Amino acid sequence: MSIKKKGKPKNRSGWVMLSITIILYVVIAFLEPSLAISSLNKSLGILKTILPILLIVLLIMALLGTFINSKSIVKHLGEGSGVRGWIISLAGGVLSHGSTYIWYPILSELRNAGAREGLIVAFFYARAIKLPWIPVMIGYFGFTFTLLLSIYILLGAWVQGIIANKIIKKRKF
Amino acid sequence: MSLYMRCKQALLDALKSVYMIAPMLLAVIGLVGLFQVIVTPEMLHSLFNGTPLHDTLVGTAIGGVSVGQPFLSYIIGGELLKGDISLYAVTAFILAWVTLGVIQLPLELTLFGARFTVIRNFLSFIFALIISWATVITLETLL
Repeated sequence: MSIKKKGKPKNRSGWVMLSITIILYVVIAFLEPSLAISSLNKSLGILKTILPILLIVLLIMALLGTFINSKSIVKHLGEGSGVRGWIISLAGGVLSHGSTYIWYPILSELRNAGAREGLIVAFFYARAIKLPWIPVMIGYFGFTFTLLLSIYILLGAWVQGIIANKIIKKRKF
Repeated sequence: MSLYMRCKQALLDALKSVYMIAPMLLAVIGLVGLFQVIVTPEMLHSLFNGTPLHDTLVGTAIGGVSVGQPFLSYIIGGELLKGDISLYAVTAFILAWVTLGVIQLPLELTLFGARFTVIRNFLSFIFALIISWATVITLETLL
């Protein structure tokens, strides 16, 4: 399931963005050092939190690459995947944990392997249901509100997936 | 190809993918840290004016640019609710917090392309409005 980027120019946007961020920190450090230090501490805290999850992501990517080929992705999440594809996508979104951006590489690989656009969109939206934080939400907003919001999120994810399938131009593999 | 070789190749490919996104990931984490320090709950509260439609739009917009663990949006949302901000706005805020990611846009653009990113985020914005209204109206009807 590896991505082959034949002839594709190297994308340097990551390095550009990182350089801009570093410059921003340096400027803020000169103007208000305490703000830069607090922000850096927050960022390091986030990094510490996501590193173990990133290792899990790495492992999942390696397992996907070993046992799942493009053909099976297309079968389960590609054209003609039907109801099963929607269920896998929505359940995957709900069950996935960690920040969205650490899921980007896996979703991008699935997409490049032939997964339907709508299923990726649905996965993204279903992530709005955060199972570990459900008790906190119930504590603040009540059980009925939490249940209703969760149902509408799943419905919304599915509808957005259908819309995305219709309007995002089909890519050729 | 043997299982060992397939596994080794897949691990190398996975490492390569992570290495490729590492600079953007670090940049996003750096920006998230800055946002969490600069944007305070008090600043958020001052932007609402009491009109449900305006507040829902503001809630969605603020949730979209805010970053952090989801429970932070519940805590801030809970505080906003106590401060007489409508449930429409608070629902849109907590929904946009997890579904929209302005600060993550560069990474999403890099991996998924402009068309996919714009459409996905546009749909998330519209659905934050629709779902927040649907949730509150249903809740008011039930209770």
